[in-house]
Amino acid sequence: MEAYSAEYFKKLAHDIMFDVSDDEVVELQAEFKELLSQIDVLNEIDTEGVEEMIYPFEAETKFLREDVVANVISQEDALSNAKSVKAGHVHVPKVVK
Amino acid sequence: MDFERARIEDVETRVKSAVERAKEKQEELNAVVSFVDVDSQLADLANKDPHAPLYGMPIVLKDNVNMKGVRTTASSRILDNYIPVYDAHISEKLKEAGAIVIAKSSMDELGMGGTNKNAYTGKVNNPWDTMRISGGSSGGSAVLVASGVVPFAIGTDTGDSVRKPAAYNGIIGMKPTYGRISRYGIIPYASSLDHVGYFTTAIEDAAVALEVLAGRDDRDMTSSYEPVPNYASDINSDIKGKKIAILDNVQEAITNAEIKENFDALMKKLQARGAIVEHVRFDDKLMRAMLPVYYIIANAEATANHSNLDGIRFGMREDGASVEEVMINSRTKGLCPYVRKRFVIGSYSLFEENQEKIFRKAQKVRRLIVEELKKALAGYDIVIASASGMIAPKSEDSQDEHLSKDVLVAENYMVMGNFSGYPSMSMPTGFVEGMPIGINMTAKPFAEQTLFNIGKAIEEETGLKGNDVEVDA
Repeated sequence: MEAYSAEYFKKLAHDIMFDVSDDEVVELQAEFKELLSQIDVLNEIDTEGVEEMIYPFEAETKFLREDVVANVISQEDALSNAKSVKAGHVHVPKVVK
Repeated sequence: MDFERARIEDVETRVKSAVERAKEKQEELNAVVSFVDVDSQLADLANKDPHAPLYGMPIVLKDNVNMKGVRTTASSRILDNYIPVYDAHISEKLKEAGAIVIAKSSMDELGMGGTNKNAYTGKVNNPWDTMRISGGSSGGSAVLVASGVVPFAIGTDTGDSVRKPAAYNGIIGMKPTYGRISRYGIIPYASSLDHVGYFTTAIEDAAVALEVLAGRDDRDMTSSYEPVPNYASDINSDIKGKKIAILDNVQEAITNAEIKENFDALMKKLQARGAIVEHVRFDDKLMRAMLPVYYIIANAEATANHSNLDGIRFGMREDGASVEEVMINSRTKGLCPYVRKRFVIGSYSLFEENQEKIFRKAQKVRRLIVEELKKALAGYDIVIASASGMIAPKSEDSQDEHLSKDVLVAENYMVMGNFSGYPSMSMPTGFVEGMPIGINMTAKPFAEQTLFNIGKAIEEETGLKGNDVEVDA
């Protein structure tokens, strides 16, 4: 598949579970052109030996706690936002046909 | 309207008139997604200490903040029917402090955008000129404060989503240090950049608000253990000897003469108060890299964060013959084209073959930008510049984060506050063509008090305490 073709973008979108229209593909192609030129801007910057910055502060703030049950929601609450519920479970179309 | 002015009316009158004002202005501003029932909250006040810091204060939450039992959509169609079963940490804190939430406000969908034109409920209008944008992504909250509906509203800030709309609307926009306020229960955008922020019209109110909101929460792993000071009682506008660094790259990029003059005049006033005002300059290449670094990191983190928006366990579900089809149909219909395009770009930069040259490269440049800011702040209390080189643009002249050859340094630099996590605040300093303009300042980690102190000095100079459309009218 040719990189940055319409087919390519439709597959990219499909891989993350949605569709894009033909018009959206045209816009994406234009944005990718810009993205690639902006990567050149980044490449002008020497990052040899520089560590990636993943979070603003790299100090750990979470420590191990006792294994006690906390912040529990009820089954009723857990299912309250699902469109379809059957027998205490989220109901979806049959997977095994 | 500030807290002091709001307190002139008794609690019930104050809350009911805020609701009334919000409803009256809805057609003009389009800032509210959902109104929240205030009667039960007013009844709950009977169990609260009348001296609680926000006792009976009408406030607004951005619509990405979970409030138990109250529809929370993040201005996205896919969450149009979502009713949280728990409170965000800050919703609990605000309730404890006696605040009354009157409405959930409009935002760019999932926080993605800087215009508020990307909201499922449509564009939000700037109260100073409704043909102009509010800015985003916390646009609804900003205009509800700027129009005098409420004295305080919650926003979130991933790029400049509190600080830019604050500048466009003539109010204070505060983004504290990363970890200062817990994000538990807030619909995320990009986790390494997301901050809770807020809007007020007075520095004292901003200080009180932070005392309420800040503090460790075990449910947010990035939440800080740093003690919460008494920001409000510690405010001191004596800035003699304070070292202020003007960020030259930004001021030189601004072409609007009136905005430049306003800034220069303010710096002279701060000097006259005894502040030491000097200049710093960042590496131009790093300044130009800010937008692409933001764009790459934010989109990549967003696409991962929002993989749970599939209509299965919550949200708007579309029909389909299989689970996969249900997800694809729900996400295609539920997410706007702008958001879907950003997810495609984010996903692309996370592909194994692209990670090193795109995503990791951006994370490395992020570190260099933060080091540049850290270096500047080693010698100064704050770095300051105009919050924008323009007044709020007209709707047709504005667009969301969009890469282009002409990188607008003055319009994108505030993202350094998100890269670094350093506290950053915008506040109004005057008017150009009848529209508000402002400055932005950034301080060292957890030095929010410095921002409040220098902010107080600026507020005394500008006389814009309590600024909103009603006051100005």
